[in-house]
Amino acid sequence: MKKKSFLLRSITGRQGRRLKEYLTAYIFIAPASILVFLFGIFPVFFALYVSLHRWRIVRGDMIGLKNYGTAVGNLAYVIAFFLGIGALALVCFIIQHILKLKKKHADQPWLAIFPGFLFMVTVLAFFNWFYHALPEVLDIAFKVRGLERGQIVFADFLREALRAEAVLPAWRIFLLALLASVAVSLLIRRLWRNRRNFNYQIFFALGFLALSVGIGLLAFTLQEVAGAYEVALAEGSDPGIWPQVISISAGVLLLGAGYLLWRRAETQATNGGFWLHLLAALVLLVGGWLLIGEIPMIIANGDKQVWDGLKVTLFFSLGTVPVQLTLSIFLSVLLFQKLIGSNIFRIIYFIPYVTPAIASAAVFQQMFSNRHTAPVNMFLRALGLPPQKWLFEPRGVITLIAEYFGKTVPAWMAGPSLAMSVIILHSVWTFVGYNTVIYLAGLGNIPKELNDAAEVDGASGWQVFRHITFPLLSPTTYFLSLIGIIGTFKAFNTIWIFRSNMALGTTDTFSLVIFIEFFEKLRYGYASAMAFVLFGIILTLTLINNRIQGSRVFYG
Amino acid sequence: MDKQPKKTYSFSISKRRKVLTYLVLFVGAFISLLPFIWMISTSLMTLGEALGTAFFPASPQFQNYAEAWRRAQFSKFFVNSLMITLITLSGEVTFSVFAAYAFARIEFPGRDLIFNIMLSTIMIPAMVLIIPNFLTVTWLGRIGPIPWINNWPALTIPFMGSIFSIFLLKQFFAQVPNELYDAAQIDGAGHLRFLFRVVLPLSKAPLMVILVLSFIGTWNSLAWPMLVTNTPDWRPISVGLMNFVDEAGQLIHLTMAGAFITIIPILIIYFFTQRQFTDSIARSGLKG
Repeated sequence: MKKKSFLLRSITGRQGRRLKEYLTAYIFIAPASILVFLFGIFPVFFALYVSLHRWRIVRGDMIGLKNYGTAVGNLAYVIAFFLGIGALALVCFIIQHILKLKKKHADQPWLAIFPGFLFMVTVLAFFNWFYHALPEVLDIAFKVRGLERGQIVFADFLREALRAEAVLPAWRIFLLALLASVAVSLLIRRLWRNRRNFNYQIFFALGFLALSVGIGLLAFTLQEVAGAYEVALAEGSDPGIWPQVISISAGVLLLGAGYLLWRRAETQATNGGFWLHLLAALVLLVGGWLLIGEIPMIIANGDKQVWDGLKVTLFFSLGTVPVQLTLSIFLSVLLFQKLIGSNIFRIIYFIPYVTPAIASAAVFQQMFSNRHTAPVNMFLRALGLPPQKWLFEPRGVITLIAEYFGKTVPAWMAGPSLAMSVIILHSVWTFVGYNTVIYLAGLGNIPKELNDAAEVDGASGWQVFRHITFPLLSPTTYFLSLIGIIGTFKAFNTIWIFRSNMALGTTDTFSLVIFIEFFEKLRYGYASAMAFVLFGIILTLTLINNRIQGSRVFYG
Repeated sequence: MDKQPKKTYSFSISKRRKVLTYLVLFVGAFISLLPFIWMISTSLMTLGEALGTAFFPASPQFQNYAEAWRRAQFSKFFVNSLMITLITLSGEVTFSVFAAYAFARIEFPGRDLIFNIMLSTIMIPAMVLIIPNFLTVTWLGRIGPIPWINNWPALTIPFMGSIFSIFLLKQFFAQVPNELYDAAQIDGAGHLRFLFRVVLPLSKAPLMVILVLSFIGTWNSLAWPMLVTNTPDWRPISVGLMNFVDEAGQLIHLTMAGAFITIIPILIIYFFTQRQFTDSIARSGLKG
């Protein structure tokens, strides 16, 4: 009786209208959400799965962290260890947050622990099912080989795959956990009527999730490290993972402490206190830096391609981002004046950015050709300089300049290869217009009164720029530098066009190394592991940048 | 007005500055355009001129374009690229409009959570996605009714769910005043009619931006089409041009003609939409 009235209520009246509204919304977002999920979120987990396997076109054995170990050496274990510790630290933060919330509202949220725990179990059960079901579902593609397309009854195969030995129990556990958690969640909401009830449940769930991930990751890492030690001891060598973990942890701690002291030094009242803090901070920072300084050596012990790829990417970032930012801030300040035709200049500067990169790369390839009659070589000859091989030149720029003056430089000072420099030039040429347009928008946001006031006070053009315009543009500068650096890590198309065997891989950035490993060497598992290393680098850069932006950027 | 002498003084300075400014701007414009000038000039040369030291052709060889077009099979690749762009765009725009409308104007449980999860995928580098997506697409092609590799689905469907388009449209849809919706509701219009009669006609600018950006994106994509096509049947112009540059080698008058042919459609679209284009780039860029 009661149920019927509930049903009736839910299809008529206000409740019914609201349900219809929800349904409309879900139908509206369904196609886009499914596609974003299938090709944007699911692949991350899939890639993680692939990266833990030996996988050459078809799936091989599960080999744990070995792919990562091959790529970055022992750093793989160190980072996995740190991620585990980080998850445990997250647990502390969540507990702290819950306690704060509890104190603020004088709640007694402990009942919410139960649904929180069950939610965690549900999520883990889902991933357990995912882990077992994925290979079975993937294998359907091999089962249908040789069948006519019309004959394939996909539903049958899928049912068969999902009923496989390990998969069905995992699915049942998941369903059970889901039902239990929903039931307990609703029950607790009845028992303890509080607006924040569900928030507490979610926080507890997140806390338990972080706890289980942390413990799981630590256990997994310990097992992997033990395995690595076993292999190494059998070969009679010492992998030395633990000393590295300890020294790098100490280094990170020292850096953190040094940074805190540095920040506190700024707020010291007395001069003596300031210098003391600064000195202590410097000592800590240098110590931490020395301990962390081992990281490059560890990576260098991994795959040489990764190390070289990272170096080339670093050159690419350092070569493009500062140059294009300087040029574009300069151009945008010039364009911002009231000039006849400034709009035309803006349109022209933006053309390289919209031009298909493949076409413009093909043009640069010919302009910087190694022929003596190619335009750039002709230009060099007009200046009385020797013609260059440009994109075919693996030697470093600094080496070449030194050679021209009859000197030699050590290998570590060689700089980016000449081939890479052409790519850097092309990148600067492409992106100056884009950065200029964004700087122009940033300039438009600066209140005109500020400039006028400064000019009334007798500030010169340069002083206005240095003390008003440039600081007020800092959000734009940070945004563009982040986009630029991440862009150099992601860049693919143009470098692929510019790439030639004669350059001996001196133009292969990390992205290229990953793609070649995947596309030409067909080592899917290893390439996925490297892609995750790239992902980690990009995430770290973004986080560091956000931190700096939070404390250093002036928002007008 | 009362300080005549000072004004002339500042005028003379600003005149010098103006000349300098224009000089710098002209140099910048020249460097921006130089590769294009060289490309067009070389594309009109004979092979001898192109390999020699001339900067301009003695007499323009327009037949180079015909030859490049024929040799590179551009008619095939052009049609392919157009088809790929059309299919991708129709799916992307339709799906994004509906999703953005729901995210912007309907309240439903989990709205912010779903949107933020989708938004976080922007951070993921393409290299992480490319391997699993290749495996997924191969798998779908094996078990599905039509093959995906060397066919349109692999080239278009993965790009139809674009969180960037949804984000851009959502920002715009959210600005449509609520009074309009209330009025429409009183007239008996539901969400669908409101979307098509009121919101979409107001949103020509962001739709234009999505069209242009997706067009350029499809026209430019290289790694993915290289991966999922190994015959010319569905290969887009980007891969076609790359292969032509490899094959034609030293026939640079032809490769430059080919490069220019691929640039033309983008340039035309850019010149017609450049105002909205730079504006939206600047705005979406600043919002981050």
